[in-house]
Amino acid sequence: MIDTLQILFNGVVSGLLVALPALALALTFSVLRFANFAIGAMLTAGAYAIYAFNAGLGWPLLPSALAGIVLGGGVAMLVDRLVYRPLRERSPVTLLVASMGVAFVLENLVRFVAGNAPVGYAVDPARPLRFAGLRVNHEQLLIVGIGIASLALVWIVFRFTALGRAMRAVADNAPLAAARGIVANRVIGATWFIAGALATTAGMLIGLDSTLDPQMGWNYVIQVFAAAILGGISHPMAAVAGALVLGVSAELSTLVIAPHYRPLVAFAVLTVLLLIRPWGIFGTARLAK
Amino acid sequence: MSAPLILQGVTAGYHGKAIVHDVSLEVPAGGALTVIGPNGSGKSTLLKSVVGLVSLMAGSMRLGEREIDRLDAPARTRLGLAYVPQERNVFPNLSVADNLRLGWETLHGRGGALSRAQGRARESARRDEVLALFPEIADRLATPAGLLSGGQRQMAAMASALMQGPSLLVLDEPSAGLSPRNASLLFDRIADIRATGITLLMIEQNVQLGLRVADHGVVLVNGEVRLRASADHLLHHADLPALFFGHAPALSS
Amino acid sequence: MTSYLFSILVLVSIAGIAALALNLQWGLTGMVNFGLFGFYMLAAYVYAQVAATGASPWLALAAAIALTGVAGALTSLISLRLADDYLAIVTLGFAECLRLVAIHEEWLTRGSLGIANIVRPVAGDGAFLALCLVALLLSFGLLEVIARAPLGRAARALRDDPLVAATTGKDVMWLRVKLFGIGAAITGVAGALHASYYQYIDPTQFGPIITAYAFMGVIIGGRGSNRGVIVSAFTVILLLEGTRFLNDHVGWLTPAQLAALRLILIGVGLILALIYRPQGLVPEYRLKVRVPAPVEG
Repeated sequence: MIDTLQILFNGVVSGLLVALPALALALTFSVLRFANFAIGAMLTAGAYAIYAFNAGLGWPLLPSALAGIVLGGGVAMLVDRLVYRPLRERSPVTLLVASMGVAFVLENLVRFVAGNAPVGYAVDPARPLRFAGLRVNHEQLLIVGIGIASLALVWIVFRFTALGRAMRAVADNAPLAAARGIVANRVIGATWFIAGALATTAGMLIGLDSTLDPQMGWNYVIQVFAAAILGGISHPMAAVAGALVLGVSAELSTLVIAPHYRPLVAFAVLTVLLLIRPWGIFGTARLAK
Repeated sequence: MSAPLILQGVTAGYHGKAIVHDVSLEVPAGGALTVIGPNGSGKSTLLKSVVGLVSLMAGSMRLGEREIDRLDAPARTRLGLAYVPQERNVFPNLSVADNLRLGWETLHGRGGALSRAQGRARESARRDEVLALFPEIADRLATPAGLLSGGQRQMAAMASALMQGPSLLVLDEPSAGLSPRNASLLFDRIADIRATGITLLMIEQNVQLGLRVADHGVVLVNGEVRLRASADHLLHHADLPALFFGHAPALSS
Repeated sequence: MTSYLFSILVLVSIAGIAALALNLQWGLTGMVNFGLFGFYMLAAYVYAQVAATGASPWLALAAAIALTGVAGALTSLISLRLADDYLAIVTLGFAECLRLVAIHEEWLTRGSLGIANIVRPVAGDGAFLALCLVALLLSFGLLEVIARAPLGRAARALRDDPLVAATTGKDVMWLRVKLFGIGAAITGVAGALHASYYQYIDPTQFGPIITAYAFMGVIIGGRGSNRGVIVSAFTVILLLEGTRFLNDHVGWLTPAQLAALRLILIGVGLILALIYRPQGLVPEYRLKVRVPAPVEG
C-alpha cells in the first residue's frame, strides 16, 4: 500500500514538472495556433538563466529565481518579436520549422556559454522528510508547492482577468478580437511572457530535482507534447490534467521499464491517443462558428 | 454621443484588385444609412474598409473630426466604431457574459481615471441598458455564445458591440441566416437602438427590413454607387430590379 | 587535398539525398518530418548489422532501404488525418525513442560502443564516391519523375489545400503514406551510405542536426525544387562542414564551443531563410495555368 502511494506521489510530482511547460505549450498554441517546438529549449535557457544569477553572481535562490523568470519571459517575448512576428501571416508549418530553429539557437547558446557538463544550483542539501509513511524530499515539496502555485496563478489570470479574456478572445476568433479593439500583438506578447515564465520555473524545478545540462529541456519535449495533446489542445488548463495522468503512468511504468525510457512511455501514450482519440481526454470538437 | 461618417472617393479591394470604386457617402450624426445591392456588388468589402479590415486604395474616410483611413481596426474601435460581422460575430467558446465584458473592456479596460469600483458600476449600468434591449439573452449569460440559437447569437453579437458605447454602429447583413420572424424581431431592436441616437451604417440583402430602419439608402452595383436617395424613395418609388440587374425581371410580383 | 575533396563530395551526396527525401515528404507532399534523423539512423544501424552477419553489403543496403521505408509509412499512418503539428511530434518522438533504444539496448546496437569495421559495398575511395554520386543521381531522377507524374500533382494539390486533405477519401490518403514511405526509404539510402562511409557508427553521430541540415537544404533550395535542394545542400555542407577545419585556427574556442556555434548558425540560418527567402533559390516546377481572379461580394 505504501509503495503504491509513493509511486502515486512521485508520479504527481513528475507530472507537475511536465505540467508547467505543457501549459505553456497549450497557451501559445491556443492563442497563436502553432506548436512551439522550442518549449524544451526555453526550459533549458530559463534554468540556466537562474543558474547564472545563483551560481554565477552568488545570489540566493529566491532572487535568482525571480530574476530568471522575468528574464525567461522577456526572452520569449523577444523571440516572438524577432522570429514569429515576421512569420505571423505564414502557414503553421513555417512557424513550426522556425521554432525548431529557435530551439537550436537557444539550446546551443547555453551550450556555448556554459558547456556540456552538468551543473547544479547552489543550494544546501537537506535530508528527506517522512510524511505519513511517504518519503518526501525537499525538492519534491518545492515542486509541489511552486508548481501548484504557478498553475493556479496562470489559471486565475486566464479565467478572471481582462488580459485572460483578451487571450481567450484572440484564441477563439482573432479577427473579431481585432474588431473589438484588442491589439493582437500585445496579447501575444503577454502570452509569450507567461509561457517563458512557466518554462523557466519548470527548468528551475527540474534543476533542483536533479541537475542542469544543455539537453535537459530537449529530453522533456516528447512528454510535454504528449501531456498537452492528452489534455486536449483546445483547453489550455487541461494540459495540466494530461501531464498528471502521464506522470503517474510513467511512474507506474518504472515498475517494469527502466526510468530512462520515460520518453518512450510518453511516445507510446501519444501514439495510442492519436490513433483513437486525438482530441484528448478533455477536448471536444471546438465550437467554430 | 454619435458621430457622422463621411466617405469620399473610396476605392478598396484585395490583393491589388479593386472591388469598390470611387464610393462616396455620408451618414449624418444620429442618422442611419443602409447599403443595398445584388450579391457580389461589393457591399461587404465596403463595410470592411470602413471597419479597417480592408485597406483603402484611394479615397478618404472621416469619423466625426478624425481621418480614419490610415488607422487599423482596433484604433478605429477605440474612436467609437463598433462592428457586427455577418458570420463569426461572437466568441463561441466564451460565455455571453464574457462576450459582453470584452465589448466593454475594449474602451474601458484600464479604467483610467475611474476607481475599480466605479468602473465596475459603470459597466454594470451599461450592461443593464444593453440587456434591456435584448432581454432574450439576459438569462443566458453563462452559456457559451456558440451554443445560442441563430437569433440569440445575433443579439449577443449586437449587444457586445453596444457595450462599447459606440458613436457609430456598423452592421453586416443582420438578417442573414434568420427566419423572417426573427429577422423582423431583430430589426425592431435595431430601431430601438437607433432611437438612442447612434449613427448607423448597415448593409442588407433584405431590402424591406434594411430600409425600414434607415433614413437614407445607397444602391451599390458592381462596386459603384448607382443611386443615392431617401429610404422612403428607394422603398416605394425606385425600380430596384432594374438598378440591381440592369433590366426588368421576366417575372413580375 | 584529394581526400578532403573526396570527403566533401561524399558528404554533399549524402546530405543531398537526405534533403531530396525531405523535399519529397515536405516540399512536395507537405508532411513535416521532424524525425528525419531517426530514419537515417535506423538505416545506418540496419546496414551495419546486416553487413556484419557476413551477408553481401548490397543486401544490407537493400534491407536498410526497405525497412526504413516501411518504418516511414507506419509512422505517418499514426497521424494521417491530423494536422501537420501532430506528424511533426510523432516523427520526432519516433526518432528520439529510436535514439534511446540505440543507446541502451546494447544487445541490439552495442550501445555507446558502436559498431566498427563496417563493410563498404565497393572497395576504394573512387568507386565509393561514384556509388554516392550515382545514388544521388538516381534519387534526383526518381523525385523528378514523381514530381511530374499524376502522383506528384495529387500530392501538391493536397499540400496546398489542407481542407481538401482533411476530407478526402482513403485512396488519396494512402498516397501520402506511400510518398512519405518513399521519402523515408530515400533517407535510408543516405543513412546506409553514412554507415559505409565512416565504417563506424555510434549513437552520438545521429541527432537533430541532421534533420536541420535537411530542412536548411529544402528551405533555401526552394520547396519542391529538386535542383535547388541539391545546390543548397552543397552550399550548406560546404559552409558548415568547412568550419570543422577552423578548429586549428580558432584557438580561443573549444571544439565543443565550435560545435555549438555551428548549430547556432544553422538555427539562425533556418530562421533567416524562412523569413527572407520563402521561395528559395530555384522556382518550383509547376504547370502554368491561368486562373481568373475571384470576385468578392
